[in-house]
Amino acid sequence: MEAVASMAFQVPDMTPALPEIFVLTMACIILVVDVFLPERRRALTYLLSLATLAGAGILTLALHEAEPRVTFGGSFVADTMADVLKVFIYLVVATVFVYSRRYLAERGLFRGEFFTLGLFAVLGMMVMVSARSLLTLYLGLELLSLSLYAMVALQRDSARAAEAAMKYFVLGALASGILLYGMSVLYGVAGTLDLAELGAQLSGPAARDPALVYATVFVLVGLGFKLGAVPFHMWVPDIYHGSATAVTVFIGTAPKMAGFALLIRLLAEGMQGLHVHWGQLLIVLAVLSMAVGNVVAIAQRNLKRMLAYSAIAHAGYLLLGIVTGSAEGYAASMFYVIVYAIMSLGAFGMILLLSRQGFEADHLEDFKGLNERSPWLAFIMAVLMFSMAGIPPFLGFWAKFTVLQAVVRAELVWLAVVGVVFAIVGAYYYLRVVKLMYFDRPQGSAPLPAGGEARFLVSVNGLAVLLLGIYPTGLMALCAGSFAAGG
Amino acid sequence: MKSVYVGIVLAPLLGTIVTGLLGRWLSREAVHRICIGGVALSLILSLVAFFHVVGGGETFNEPIYRWMFSDGISFEIGFLVDRLTALMIVVVNFVSLMVHIYTIGYMHDDPGYKRFFSYISLFTFSMLMLVMSNNFLQLFFGWEAVGLVSYLLIGFWYQRESAIYANMKAFLVNRVGDFGFLLGIAAILMYFNSLDYADVFRAAPLLQDVTVEVIPGLEWSVITLICILLFIGAMGKSAQVPLHVWLPDSMEGPTPISALIHAATMVTAGVFMVARMSPLYELSETALSVVLVIGALTAFFMGLVGIVQHDIKRVVAYSTLSQLGYMMVGLGASAYAAGIFHLMTHAFFKALMFLAAGSVIIALHHEQDMRKMGGLKRYMPVTYWTMLIGCLALIGFPGLSGFFSKDAIIEAVGESEIPGAGLAYLLVLLGVFVTALYTFRMFFLTFHGEERMDPHAREHLHESPAVVTVPLVLLAVPAVLVGWLTVEPLLFGGWFGEAIRVAAEHDVLARMGEGFHGALSMVLHGLLAPPFWLAMAGVATAWYAYLKRPELPELAKERAGVLYRVLVNKYGFDDFNQAVFGDGSVRLGRGLWQVGDVTVIDGVMVNGTARGVGRLAVVMRLLQSGYLYHYAFAMIIGLLVLLSWAVAA
Amino acid sequence: MSAEQAIFYFFSAVLVGAGAAVVTVRNPVHAALFLVLAFFTSAALWLLLEAEFLAVTLVLVYVGAVMVLFLFVVMMLDINLVPLREGFIRYLPVGVVVAVLMFVEMALVVGSSYFGLERFGSPPRHPADYSNTKELGGVLYTEYVYPFEIAAAVLVVAIIAAIALTLRRRPDSKRQDPARQVRVRREGRVRLVSLPAARRPAQGEGSSES
Repeated sequence: MEAVASMAFQVPDMTPALPEIFVLTMACIILVVDVFLPERRRALTYLLSLATLAGAGILTLALHEAEPRVTFGGSFVADTMADVLKVFIYLVVATVFVYSRRYLAERGLFRGEFFTLGLFAVLGMMVMVSARSLLTLYLGLELLSLSLYAMVALQRDSARAAEAAMKYFVLGALASGILLYGMSVLYGVAGTLDLAELGAQLSGPAARDPALVYATVFVLVGLGFKLGAVPFHMWVPDIYHGSATAVTVFIGTAPKMAGFALLIRLLAEGMQGLHVHWGQLLIVLAVLSMAVGNVVAIAQRNLKRMLAYSAIAHAGYLLLGIVTGSAEGYAASMFYVIVYAIMSLGAFGMILLLSRQGFEADHLEDFKGLNERSPWLAFIMAVLMFSMAGIPPFLGFWAKFTVLQAVVRAELVWLAVVGVVFAIVGAYYYLRVVKLMYFDRPQGSAPLPAGGEARFLVSVNGLAVLLLGIYPTGLMALCAGSFAAGG
Repeated sequence: MKSVYVGIVLAPLLGTIVTGLLGRWLSREAVHRICIGGVALSLILSLVAFFHVVGGGETFNEPIYRWMFSDGISFEIGFLVDRLTALMIVVVNFVSLMVHIYTIGYMHDDPGYKRFFSYISLFTFSMLMLVMSNNFLQLFFGWEAVGLVSYLLIGFWYQRESAIYANMKAFLVNRVGDFGFLLGIAAILMYFNSLDYADVFRAAPLLQDVTVEVIPGLEWSVITLICILLFIGAMGKSAQVPLHVWLPDSMEGPTPISALIHAATMVTAGVFMVARMSPLYELSETALSVVLVIGALTAFFMGLVGIVQHDIKRVVAYSTLSQLGYMMVGLGASAYAAGIFHLMTHAFFKALMFLAAGSVIIALHHEQDMRKMGGLKRYMPVTYWTMLIGCLALIGFPGLSGFFSKDAIIEAVGESEIPGAGLAYLLVLLGVFVTALYTFRMFFLTFHGEERMDPHAREHLHESPAVVTVPLVLLAVPAVLVGWLTVEPLLFGGWFGEAIRVAAEHDVLARMGEGFHGALSMVLHGLLAPPFWLAMAGVATAWYAYLKRPELPELAKERAGVLYRVLVNKYGFDDFNQAVFGDGSVRLGRGLWQVGDVTVIDGVMVNGTARGVGRLAVVMRLLQSGYLYHYAFAMIIGLLVLLSWAVAA
Repeated sequence: MSAEQAIFYFFSAVLVGAGAAVVTVRNPVHAALFLVLAFFTSAALWLLLEAEFLAVTLVLVYVGAVMVLFLFVVMMLDINLVPLREGFIRYLPVGVVVAVLMFVEMALVVGSSYFGLERFGSPPRHPADYSNTKELGGVLYTEYVYPFEIAAAVLVVAIIAAIALTLRRRPDSKRQDPARQVRVRREGRVRLVSLPAARRPAQGEGSSES
């Protein structure tokens, strides 16, 4: 069988994957460079990581074309959605790095591993976003997850972080197993790993195979876990709370966008023919997530935990757009996830900014009377909270609005009503933060940390939420454009 | 010309912005120079526009700025400058400039000097936006903007309890009117799918026979409905019965404001609006009839109340109400040109009267009660003579401006055949007597007779400074002349052209025009007509009762106690509103608050829900045990449930 | 029943039994050994599928390396398993119910009626000179180069994580560092302290020295 080996094999076109290759190369270089750096030069690692993200951003933008480019035997695709999400991933991760710097330094966590693991996580997200086969999708997910597990565990002297890492790892492995099992059944039925082919197969008569229902459930459970949807959400609060805030903000932002891409690639591209099945199941997950997330968040005293439940609730809203199974709904969800990433980035960034050595600033009490101590930061935080609650004219309103609009268009009015009702419930705990900041007395009189570039960036972040809320059309058009060609 | 029109509007706006925002850093002189400069520039530009339009220039009707476009409807700022508009902007700017100048003297010692100037410039801007609009949206903007400034200015002395009460009252009553107005605009948008005047007027005849079921079983013509709704707005703004109650109280504001806003311009916005909408009103005889009757009632009964007032400004205010009624009567009789003509003449002589009254008030150190005046003729000659001109113009003394306009209206009503015209004719005719009576009562009490002011005030009594008297003189000139000069073209020459549309069967002015042979003959004819003799009778009565036999009014008060009380209580409108709407809504509100809000909504729904949700949250939080195997187990259960459901389905 | 089928069912039965034993036996060493058995039998199943390379790798990597390491750890740590198993009986009924339900549902959907041979057919036989290893090598570095590289990245992350989490300088360890010992300087070890002369309890001097 010499013929097989010598079968006209063409070296795949690597240009569409240049950003991935660049990030991988740079991550390896930084890994090596960091080993030889003395402790006081650690900032170089930090700067190199930022440079990597910037370079990847430039490459992605430079290589962008309207037409999707497929390579590596069909297992990789660079389309508009992928490029848009990638650019936002770079942006968000770079911001996370900047926010975390002081926090990490004060806790002895300012180490090369944080940044290399972070970059590998970015690579994992990029792979997921650009995946066009079940295999790459899964590998990207594992690359991301593994990096995240390690990042959580990085804070070795904290028992809570170790516990969180263990929970995250075990449950994550369980979920990955379930997801993989579902994928394997899909492969078994369709006989292909390629998502486009899978999509074609499953839209035909093969879609009635009962095994596919079974596969759908397993896939959804896996996806539900990764997104933190109820009832697969139990890990979210513990991991958000247990991790160092710098890691929490990492987990809570960019991977959500990758998770969205996972949903789209798998459900919309691979399993669109099975919409009748997964649509129903997702509605259940979405409603439960909105209900549990928004209700339980009210009982939280810790801001990180509260934001964790808020993440669960937001996952519910994100699913609403997917539920519709229409291009409009997908675009709405994409808008939602980007908006959510920006908002939660700001909120966690604020916790990072207000924390100092030996003080985490993650209790609701710590925000009491912030207005008296720093009116500007209180204003930014208020903007972020209003936005998260979905109050116009802030960005979060448009996110909820577009998603609900898509749901109404899909003639699921009752679902939109449920969404609105729980949004109102949710407004309570967001506005409580505002109330604490503006109407309560400050508890301590310790001076606020100076902040520097992080303070500047948090301000930009908050103002972006406000300004994009006033002019949301550009971002919306970007998301709509991602689904316009593909249909 | 477009830049000229834009300049007309922007000059006062610039003034108000600069003085309003930067006033703190400007001196008083700088503030009034900027504002007066802005209005003067606007006046010059509007004169340019006026002569351009009168000289046969094209009617300007163009959008300036498109705000948004939605569902095929364009929301824009645009100007319509035809003869009606041109006349209005000149009147508005002229009176406004006079008031600006007068203010320098009147408000000289007031700490809110700069604020005041900023407000009146803002008012001028708003009023110009209103009259120059070419669409309903901008009309509504101007409508609300003048209302806002009126609110601000009535409550200008916001430390006074009564001023706050008055501006709140004005605001609330105008809300009632605006509600109708807004509904009218909404109806227009619904049926015409456009906000542009030209589109609406073009399409209006097509909708003449369309009806709408307002209440089940009650079919109304759409046009009638729209016209009446719009007229409800006009009733609020132009203070027609029963929405007139705010205007007398608005006298709490500084006198220049009473002259500018509550006599010459803002209150005439309703009149202007109805005239502007003449293509719509002409299609609905019912609406015209409503306008006519409401106007006539206002004209007569509000004049009666003026007879028993003691506050000099309130007398003038009731006179304004009555005159606004006359204007509405003119409109209702389809004599739109006569209504606008009266609007113009009234703007001049009523502003004059207010400013003159203000002059008296300054001289007496802000004393407004006529029982503490008298004999002022000796001390204030300029004020006396200008006031006399104003009063004669008001009662319609032949030759003065008021005569032409008021006589035209009365005659037009006499000619009209619209239902209710007979009653209206009777009322306006009797109104002439009443007008003369209260006007000269006020005049005699103030300037003649014994000096009743306290001795301290008498020592300091002197004529007002030039900034006060010059505007008086300048206003007196048109008060005398403008009628004579413009009666022919305005009323009978078809001066307004396309701006005002009158159906042939309603065209009373054309019928009157057949008997018109120039201003002089009209004056001569007027000397023989009943209105003149009624007015003279009124003057004579006032003279007899208040100068010759001053004890007579007291006697009348005792003899006709019931009538007197009815008038003093202003027919009970205020008490009725206070008791029914004021206390009633307070009581209703309190009831809803205690039962609905506190108990049901707060107690059960809001706090109950919050408590319920909070408890639920605490319970659900317990599920978050922290044990890894609980979490894993929960996931498996979730998987199982989903799987069972999917398999079963 | 053909010989092949007989072999398949035999190994399958052993695999399921071994798998069940892993989670049920009390002794962790026994559990690990059952896991080894499970690996062996699944390797045998792969051989039946003509996947020799995978079968051999499974034995070499998992049995030879991973499980041996695992056994070492289990033996060295000497975990007291009694408390860990306390909940086992308590949760057993629930667990059994869930497991049975799960099994029934899975059987319903992935039973032989939907996943039987008649639906999928048996994979085609390969000729005797067919090399599974060579085939894998052929596609692994060509068609699947991208997933292969990602897998490599996953491994790198695993290494980074393992090192970052375990490699650290314990403050309480008494380890010697020859390099540091050699680099020692006088300044690092000797500190000159100026001691004040013996003081008399006089007021003026006392205050000036403090």
